[in-house]
Amino acid sequence: MTDPTLPGTRNPYSAIVDRAPLPPLPGGARMAFWSIVNLEVWDISRPMARQVIPAPTGQVLLPDVPNWSWHEYGMRVGVWRFFKLYERLGIRPTLSINARVCDDYERVAAHARDLGWEPMGHAWEQMPIHKVDDQRAMIFRSMDRLESFWGKRPIGWLGPGLTQTYDTPENLAEAGVKYIGDFVYDDDPTVITTAQGPLVTLPYTVELNDIPMMIVQHHESAYWKTRVMDQFKRLYEESAERPKIISIAIHPYISGQPHRIRYLEEIYAEVAEYAGVVHMNGAELYDWYNAAAKVHP
Amino acid sequence: MNQVPPGGMLPGERIAFDPIAGRRRLELPDGKRVAVWIIVNIEEWNPLETMPRTVLTPPAGGAPMPDIPNWAWHEYGNRVGFWRILDVFDDFSLPGNLAVNGCAIAAYPQIAEAAHARGWEFIGHGFSQKNMQKVADEVEDIRLTTEAIQRFTGTRPRGWLGPGLTETWETPERLVAAGYDYVADWVLDDQPVVLKTRNGPLANVPYTQECNDVAMMLIQHHKASEYRDRAIDQFEQIRSDARHGARVMAMVLHPYIMGAPHRLRYFREAVAHIAGCPDAVFMTGSAILDWAKAQQG
Repeated sequence: MTDPTLPGTRNPYSAIVDRAPLPPLPGGARMAFWSIVNLEVWDISRPMARQVIPAPTGQVLLPDVPNWSWHEYGMRVGVWRFFKLYERLGIRPTLSINARVCDDYERVAAHARDLGWEPMGHAWEQMPIHKVDDQRAMIFRSMDRLESFWGKRPIGWLGPGLTQTYDTPENLAEAGVKYIGDFVYDDDPTVITTAQGPLVTLPYTVELNDIPMMIVQHHESAYWKTRVMDQFKRLYEESAERPKIISIAIHPYISGQPHRIRYLEEIYAEVAEYAGVVHMNGAELYDWYNAAAKVHP
Repeated sequence: MNQVPPGGMLPGERIAFDPIAGRRRLELPDGKRVAVWIIVNIEEWNPLETMPRTVLTPPAGGAPMPDIPNWAWHEYGNRVGFWRILDVFDDFSLPGNLAVNGCAIAAYPQIAEAAHARGWEFIGHGFSQKNMQKVADEVEDIRLTTEAIQRFTGTRPRGWLGPGLTETWETPERLVAAGYDYVADWVLDDQPVVLKTRNGPLANVPYTQECNDVAMMLIQHHKASEYRDRAIDQFEQIRSDARHGARVMAMVLHPYIMGAPHRLRYFREAVAHIAGCPDAVFMTGSAILDWAKAQQG
């Protein structure tokens, strides 16, 4: 397999036990905590990205008002629980954001911007990137819109549902993206090759992600905290030897629900009891890694 | 294919019903009562094909290709997860069993070397991770797998596990023709049994779909702790049953599942419980087979 666009060719297999040391984390920390909030636009004219309730007899019906409004609750109510939590903690998460949110939910996007949250490109709206007619144009349009709204071009990207086609990394590098979250294949940042220059991968997560856990696997709300803390404790132990990054990915329509938010709050309270943990966003993680790896000038 | 071809047999023709009660009593050396074998499955997922399992579905469903997020999720197991699992084997000095896709030996040579250096048994697991009923030429697939293992370890593999435990009507015949002594696909007993094939007998060593992280975590969506709890319950019941004669217990894991930081501790805790019991002995599949043959006569 030598096709340069295959994922295993962009960064050939390597075992974590064979790696050179990573640079030390800022401030002598042993572990970085990366929080990612996802904001999306679910267009009512299409099937909903996720469903909490299928229609009776399982038919696909349009418009899908119940599931549209379930998601909409996150923008109207849930995300404000996130804002309150992170303001209280003094943490500025990475915001994985469909660029159309800047127009459809300007109130929300502006609030995140004004709090200094880092925007990460997350497509124009929520649909698999495979189904976008002109992917390159969509990526540029998304990056341009976020740049005009934030006053600064984002450097990160996460595919909608982490989806990519084989040439997505080339399109992203050309559009000015420096790091992506789609390659959930390592604990370390890595570098992948593209015909448009290298991209850094940061360890985003599908394990500590409320979509797979709550919507696909149907776990109880309390299990969110259990799994995150199990992950945290294990990585904390390993970070005695090598810096580790824990990432958590949340959506306001899921983790912003009244019955779930307490488990998110409790995670940050417990993590605060550990010494040597620094909260970093994607751009800060990228800067830390790139300063030593010199992937981009 | 619902017709048994002339070269194959129905399951009932391969093995007559034989209740475990009333069999000749099997004794393990040193007064042990339960032989435990742990099988680590190493696979290579072809990014050009549909992923064997998924953690994340694309927004609004469907199965668009390529499926980079789920490819990367599996790849994590080989880059990082396997090395955590290996620590558990080292800490408890456990003999290992590596059920390995033939193609994975070249793709992940560091894993094959680590297993071989520790004297693990290599078990054929198809050339690639694909249902045996969908493999174009099963005889050739078995040959390639056998050769890949023999070339690497210098020894012909004795055991075989179908990818996803799949077989065609004629798989047992083809395995005997290729020199295999046992399969693990037939999860129908707590002791090794012998299957008839048109090419002579083929043993089956008790494998498990119950204490198997694919079924438990990816299909049934249990909490990670259930892996430990179920393994301990399974062990304690088999240990109790073994007052009537020695029995076999299998534990199965995949690096991309139990090798995730938040799950690893539950594998370790299950092993610690079993290793702390004087009735248990950890073995390889071949060692279990040779012991059972000598006992069963």
